[in-house]
Amino acid sequence: MQKDRFGVTRLLATTSVLLSATALPGAIVLPAQAQDAANVCASGYTEAPQLKAMVDAGTLPPVAERLPLEPLVVEPAEEIGVYGGQFIDSWGGGNVADIRQFGYEPLVRWSVDGSEVVPSIAKSWDISEDARSYTFHLREGMKWSDGQPFTADDIIFWWERVENNPKVMTGGPRGELKNNGAVPTVTKVDDYTVTFAYEEPNGLFLQNMAGPYGQRVVMFPKHYMEQFDIDLNPDGVADMMQAAGATDYAAWWKGNVGSYGDAAQFNDPKRPSLLAWIGQDSILGKERVTFVRNPYYFKVDPSCQQLPYIDERVWTAAADPEVTLLQSIQGQISMSPRNVSTPQNRAVFFDSQEAGDYHLVPATSCDYNTAVLGFSVNHPDPVKAEVFGSKDFRAGVSLAINRQEIIDTIYLGQGEPFQPAPLPNSPFYNEKLAKEFTEFDLAAAAEHLDKIIPMGADGVRVGPDGKPFKFSVEINADFKPDTVDAFQLIERTWKQAGLDVTINYHSDELFGNARAKPDADAAVWVGENGCGQLPLLNLGRFMNDYGYWSLGNWSGWAAWDMLRLNPDAELPEGWSPVEPPANVQRLYELRSTIPTTVGEEQATLMGEFTDLLAEEFLTIGIANPAGYYRSVKNDLHNVPAELIEGWLYPGPAPANFATFFFKP
Amino acid sequence: MGSFMLRRIIYVIPALIAVSLISFLVIAIPPGDFITRTAELRAAQGDIMPLAEQEAMRRAYGLDLPIMVQYWNWISGVVLRGDFGYSFSFNLPVKDVIWPRLGLTVVLSVASLLFIWVVAIPIGIYSAVRRYSAGDYMATFLGFLGLAIPNFLLALAVMYVAFAWFGMNVGGLFSPEFLEAPWSWARVLDLLNHLWLPMIVLGTAGTASVIRIIRANLMDELHKPYVTAARAKGKGEFGLLMKYPVRHALNPFVSGQNDIFVEIVSGGTIVAIVMGLQTTGPLLLDSLRTQDMYMAASFILMLSVLVVVGTLLSDLLLAWLDPRIRYQQG
Repeated sequence: MQKDRFGVTRLLATTSVLLSATALPGAIVLPAQAQDAANVCASGYTEAPQLKAMVDAGTLPPVAERLPLEPLVVEPAEEIGVYGGQFIDSWGGGNVADIRQFGYEPLVRWSVDGSEVVPSIAKSWDISEDARSYTFHLREGMKWSDGQPFTADDIIFWWERVENNPKVMTGGPRGELKNNGAVPTVTKVDDYTVTFAYEEPNGLFLQNMAGPYGQRVVMFPKHYMEQFDIDLNPDGVADMMQAAGATDYAAWWKGNVGSYGDAAQFNDPKRPSLLAWIGQDSILGKERVTFVRNPYYFKVDPSCQQLPYIDERVWTAAADPEVTLLQSIQGQISMSPRNVSTPQNRAVFFDSQEAGDYHLVPATSCDYNTAVLGFSVNHPDPVKAEVFGSKDFRAGVSLAINRQEIIDTIYLGQGEPFQPAPLPNSPFYNEKLAKEFTEFDLAAAAEHLDKIIPMGADGVRVGPDGKPFKFSVEINADFKPDTVDAFQLIERTWKQAGLDVTINYHSDELFGNARAKPDADAAVWVGENGCGQLPLLNLGRFMNDYGYWSLGNWSGWAAWDMLRLNPDAELPEGWSPVEPPANVQRLYELRSTIPTTVGEEQATLMGEFTDLLAEEFLTIGIANPAGYYRSVKNDLHNVPAELIEGWLYPGPAPANFATFFFKP
Repeated sequence: MGSFMLRRIIYVIPALIAVSLISFLVIAIPPGDFITRTAELRAAQGDIMPLAEQEAMRRAYGLDLPIMVQYWNWISGVVLRGDFGYSFSFNLPVKDVIWPRLGLTVVLSVASLLFIWVVAIPIGIYSAVRRYSAGDYMATFLGFLGLAIPNFLLALAVMYVAFAWFGMNVGGLFSPEFLEAPWSWARVLDLLNHLWLPMIVLGTAGTASVIRIIRANLMDELHKPYVTAARAKGKGEFGLLMKYPVRHALNPFVSGQNDIFVEIVSGGTIVAIVMGLQTTGPLLLDSLRTQDMYMAASFILMLSVLVVVGTLLSDLLLAWLDPRIRYQQG
């Protein structure tokens, strides 16, 4: 393994820029937050009054002993804060295991503006020149919330006893950890050094580690978790399972320890954590939960005060979004949750600013489209497969959508006509891909459609088999209600273009079945992760390939791709390979090679990828989403001037909640 | 009386078995299960759940077993050990989730029922005695208005008024600070402080029918010879009214109470969702949506038991009120 500092800076300069489109090539991006706190804070640290009282009473070690030798110094967005207060949050019931809410402290993290990957729990890292191995340096003296040391052993425990343990329910290491399908070797170099080594170069490892899945690496304190491991503590586990009336180890483990995304991860108040606020009670089934400050939290502000500033974080459950909306505009919630902070509610939020004593902070969405329409190119009916596989058909369908009308009436004039493509703030923005066939032109639409489904004598378009051509579109009416409104408008203009279409609106729980039907014609989903460098982590989505998720949709091409990568691969039930056109074959090749490249080579291949996508025009979009915001109470400070929403960038959690404070 | 009660109680058993089977099948038969639903919810967040993980979960939760085996495992646990199974989404035994909710549901339902009685019975009597008067028309009009306005709409309107005019903290049965607090006198007061809103909303729909029942029954009784006879003997008008015709008029009213109770329990769901109440309704809906089958089935079973028991009680009460009933077969 090489530890080439020069190689590191070069790699960082090219791979760690997420959101900034203007990153200068060759600019040296240093981990801006990694300062030597030992020098800055030579005269010592200060802490919250209640912790000070506990230290004075002898129930807690002094703050200098609780912090690592080199705490992370966080620059607040506005000013140095004061201790105190309660941050009130609302959660809609479902996403209780969301790291957006309970804490974002991975090994490495996205910076507040999303422009780079910066240190968090790891104080620094080395990348080998060939990008095959990543070595993380942990903070000496760092502790879990129960005061036990946090070391490399905890990470190795996660890798061996959780991620790769077939007895618990993870389904094996996640795709985010793999590189072109291969898992890394994870080794402990010393107590404070861990290396992830891949067989092939991995150009996306840091970005993946900064995403939601990276949090898992540092959520398993070995000293506490060993008691739940059936191999390490067979008798104890048997007793606990018996007490709980459980018979299956994997199910019991999932309910008590938790796999990815399980609420169980936050449900055990005794479980040590590295997060800024820690639970005091189980959270499941509760109407209101309170998390208190972690006395061992590893971050300080530039004036050497231990973070977080805010004493407690409180989540209140609300079954109905209208109740949440009322509570938000009444000013009962410190920061409005995402589900009510929509463009449609903007006027209501705006009008109540004074009464609710809050203001609105813009929140940029990382979604690259409000709705992505994908046709089933591998349809079992050969006529439909031929039509949906035709670029003329897709172009005609797209030209027959009046996007400006949709934007004006449904999105309140926010956003612009857009196809599924990287957003303009991404270095991979491709204007042709983003803008082609976005104008509303029924004559041009007819020209394209006539080539594949000509107009019949009675005003109905006929397919290649001479029969009237009909198709249907499946929509999830609950997930994003605005798509329902949009497609009601689209249906009207499609009828004008002579398209015989049925739009099926499904509830959330039935949509999955409708979309996964092998003979579904087309389905609509939202486009996620299109800003900055995120498209790199999201290549399959741009090709409308959602893996097993789009069964019957693109399963033929996907099966072909699986056999291309591994001729012995076992295909999922009901899949049979269909050879895609040459351009699409190349797209699949690029999808598997881009993650193994770095730097300029990666950028060049991404250019080829977006050019080919534009040429093939596989999916249809409506507009890029705009107009999102959050209401923020006026006495809450250090909230960044602009928030970012997203999935792989788990906004708004990277906004440094630990530096937020209330100014009376 | 004893044999009537015994017979009546025995009839409850097959009814409960049928209810339990149906309530389980209702959740188990539709396509998809809790795991597909979980994958769907994760997808809505942007995450795709690997197939291998889904299959492992399905095996671990026993969702790969035949439906009847799953039903037997569940119902035998309920009957033999009082174990209602496991809630997948809460990672808790179902009974830990539903008991507190069921308690609040009963409190709210009984409160609404009392509200109906307190408001409707005096109005019904007044309407019957002073029929076709301005007061009768007024009361009847208001009653029908309550019946005609959908509960959820009324809930929204009441919430808006409480929020916009009185600046009240709407949503829920408790103030935030009492949500997860242990029971105390202060918490009971807080509950009462919040209870009246949903109580009025749920009660308004029931008042109209009770007013009409009392009014119609009483009007039949008022002109019977025994009333005239009592009046002729110099009995005071109010005492006479209360002692004879009103008591008679209550008979059909008692048998109708269970229907109203059922209506409150089931009709309360939408109101509870709109108002964010911590009763069974929202949780039942949620468990149906996430296909959290043991919890949904247990909820439906428990609510059905409430209804069956309610019917039993009103039958027994009737049998006590009216001796003719208990001597009939059936």
